[in-house]
Amino acid sequence: MERRLPQFFFALSMIVLALMLGAIWQAASPAWKTYQQEFHRLEAVGEPNAAAKSDVLNAALVIKQDLLPGLQRVDRCTTCHLGVEDPTMKNAPQPFTFHANLAPHIPAKFGCTVCHGGQGLATDQQNAHGQVPFWQEPLLPREYIRASCGRCHKEGEVPGVPELADGRRLFETQGCRGCHKLNGVGGTIGPDLTEEGAIRRFPEWLERHFLDPNAVSRNSPMPNFHFTKEQARALTFYMLSLTSEQMGTYYSSVRLIPSASYGRELFVEKNCIACHSIGGVGAKNGPDLAQVAKQHSPGWLDEQLVNPQLIYPGSTMPAYDLETNARKAIITFMASATAEDAQSILSQRTKPLTPQDAAIEAGKQSFARFGCVGCHGLQLQGGVPNPNSQGGEVPSLLHASDDYTKEEVVKIIQNGKVPPVENTARPAAPLYMPPWKSVLTDEDIHRIADYLWSLQKKKDAW
Amino acid sequence: MNPLRDAWQSIVRRDPLSTDKGKSELVFLNVWLHIHPAKVKKENLKVKHTFYLGFITFFLFLVLVTSGVALMFYYRPDAPQAYQDMKDLQFVVYLGSFLRNMHRWAAHGMVICVFLHMCRVFYTGSYKRPRQFNWVIGVVLFLLTLGLSFTGYLLPWDQLAFWAITVGTNIGSYAPLVGARIRELLLGGHTVGESALLRFYVLHVAVLPVLMTLLTMVHFWRVRKDGGLSRPVWKLKEEKSAQLVTIGAPVASAALAAVPASKDKTYGLMEVVTGKPIFETVSMEEEEDTVFSYPYAFFREGIALLVTVTTVMAVSLFWKAPLEELANPAKTPNPAKAPWYFLGLQELVSHSALLGGVIVPTLAVLALIAIPYIDSNPSRRPADRKWAIRAFTLFVVVNVVLIIVGTFFRGPGWAMVPPWVHITGAE
Repeated sequence: MERRLPQFFFALSMIVLALMLGAIWQAASPAWKTYQQEFHRLEAVGEPNAAAKSDVLNAALVIKQDLLPGLQRVDRCTTCHLGVEDPTMKNAPQPFTFHANLAPHIPAKFGCTVCHGGQGLATDQQNAHGQVPFWQEPLLPREYIRASCGRCHKEGEVPGVPELADGRRLFETQGCRGCHKLNGVGGTIGPDLTEEGAIRRFPEWLERHFLDPNAVSRNSPMPNFHFTKEQARALTFYMLSLTSEQMGTYYSSVRLIPSASYGRELFVEKNCIACHSIGGVGAKNGPDLAQVAKQHSPGWLDEQLVNPQLIYPGSTMPAYDLETNARKAIITFMASATAEDAQSILSQRTKPLTPQDAAIEAGKQSFARFGCVGCHGLQLQGGVPNPNSQGGEVPSLLHASDDYTKEEVVKIIQNGKVPPVENTARPAAPLYMPPWKSVLTDEDIHRIADYLWSLQKKKDAW
Repeated sequence: MNPLRDAWQSIVRRDPLSTDKGKSELVFLNVWLHIHPAKVKKENLKVKHTFYLGFITFFLFLVLVTSGVALMFYYRPDAPQAYQDMKDLQFVVYLGSFLRNMHRWAAHGMVICVFLHMCRVFYTGSYKRPRQFNWVIGVVLFLLTLGLSFTGYLLPWDQLAFWAITVGTNIGSYAPLVGARIRELLLGGHTVGESALLRFYVLHVAVLPVLMTLLTMVHFWRVRKDGGLSRPVWKLKEEKSAQLVTIGAPVASAALAAVPASKDKTYGLMEVVTGKPIFETVSMEEEEDTVFSYPYAFFREGIALLVTVTTVMAVSLFWKAPLEELANPAKTPNPAKAPWYFLGLQELVSHSALLGGVIVPTLAVLALIAIPYIDSNPSRRPADRKWAIRAFTLFVVVNVVLIIVGTFFRGPGWAMVPPWVHITGAE
């Protein structure tokens, strides 16, 4: 044994050396180097002479990264995806394929993961594509990538992504907030959706969930809304765009895209047609806007919208508090607006609401937005079965003023109400009125009561 | 005078090797050869007597210091940069992943080895006179190892780190009166945050390693002063054991018999201090029972070092150190678990916060420290100390069982869930 000690020592030293070489080999031969070499070979094919060929082939292998402090990320995707900005790589195989229609979202400013998902810091495929445990944002499947537009463009229409606005509209009108909180407003029965796009981004799951909640999460208290496939897709898009992630000013300045269609919406909302005409159609208190758009530069128009007094002291035009992109949108719309546009806007114009009507309208919207319709019905007809409650179903609200005073109704909305049971021996009724104090402001609740009473009035008149 | 030669001599400080004086000075002036005595007992070197667990623990510490210093070049103790640095180590830094794996696995290994070392010392009765105080230092070193591992646990700043430390420090806060204060002092606030990360970092890379190094030195020094590595003296033949002398020890403990004073030999300060030194074990064994430290002890220790390094490297090549999502105080995993070595403690806490989290562990540590002073039985022969062995075995088994239950049998809500049952919907 004694004599064999040095031999043993030597053998072990060799093993340590071998392990060390193994570690070095493991560290020195990452997959991205292989990809870069392959890319260099692809590039070399196009080179005219031997010198240029060898230059390309012997180019240094380096990790490429886009530092994006404004998006709080570092993306190393272009270490392997080398042809992203090279149009000659249009037909190259992945990971070298050219990314068409990239501008203005160039990798240097936007990276890749903010739209595509995945793990930007990683340098091997599995980790980079985020298909590993403990990474919450795996690569989005191709058909859902457009949903990411909504992470920065949070308002208005995004050109080419109608699903986002549709999804938002559905969310606000189908009573989703009755159960779900979003940015601090909403109920607590379902999960908070504020970060839904930042965590657990499984679009297929979301879409199936919208089509039939129980199919993917058993015993989910979420009712089946019988959404169409398009609606489910739109809601999924909207969910994927939800994140409270702080984007840098450069990115958040484009919350909405200044499209002509959004400009038209604003034009209607601000009631410009009340003073102005387009192509001779409309009011004549102010100048014709088609003319104005032709005569002045967008910069001039922008200044005019910010402060009309600056250019024409004494102008009767009010200064609207519009953000940059809203002004841009209106100017874009003005540039393309025609007399037909003015005609259709005029024909759709409704009478301005009185304050009282406005309160009722707001109450109606809250009624839809916070899910009252889920139990009481879109026409307030009630009728949702509620076994062992008196009457056996959720009450209709059409006769609220017969049984209650307005103050009593406000109290019920504030504090909730457990329906009286029919038979005390049987289990209590499953549905009950939850308290809304913590979700709705007193003002909201009074408006909802106003809305209910407004319907009552119509009935009396009849 | 040749200044170059002067400088050279100031460094090597010995005469040329061509002279006899130079040859002997090569040995006399070599610090490495003086960490050990010139000769050691053959018996001491046997693997089955110590399993070299103390050495292995120390070598793991060396691996940890080396890899830890290397990792420090790439680490910023700030949230959330710390997490990004972990990702950079994994994806960009040359050998970064390997270094981190080594550091992580060696740390776990050290906790295990230091515990096994303690068991070995107990079962061989090596904590007995004159080594009582070295046992106490050993217990402190064990606690420091846990402290180093615990402070290091937070540094990756991922979910695993954040919640393990949150749970771990919560356990500490159950101590009456001072608990909450200590937690606040440790975290630099009421919750685990950036200041906690900085404090844990400083403790992990400066305070605790320095304490560890100092106490390790004392630990080794005491081992050498108290007669070298442990060995089963009770197995020596009668006549040999008769030659073992314990000078100055109380008569009651002189079970190993005394020899005539004429054969006495001590390492005390003769001629300077009168009286006999306390607790000085002196071997009167024959020359043939000892061997030179170099090469016999050196090669064996070298082999222990190589086996340790080989194991750590091999494990690190094939198993990755865990790294979960970025720490998120808003998202509590269910169940949130402390580091594995505190899971026995967490299991106790789940039954009673004060009793399990404070009283029992405090008593356990105090009892561990007091073992050499409570145990008045002078014999190291296992047959003579059946009850001590039974009691300690019970302590070990209870610890291991609690840790296994906490690690593998506790699911969401700390409910009993066997590891083979998969809970759907649990994250």
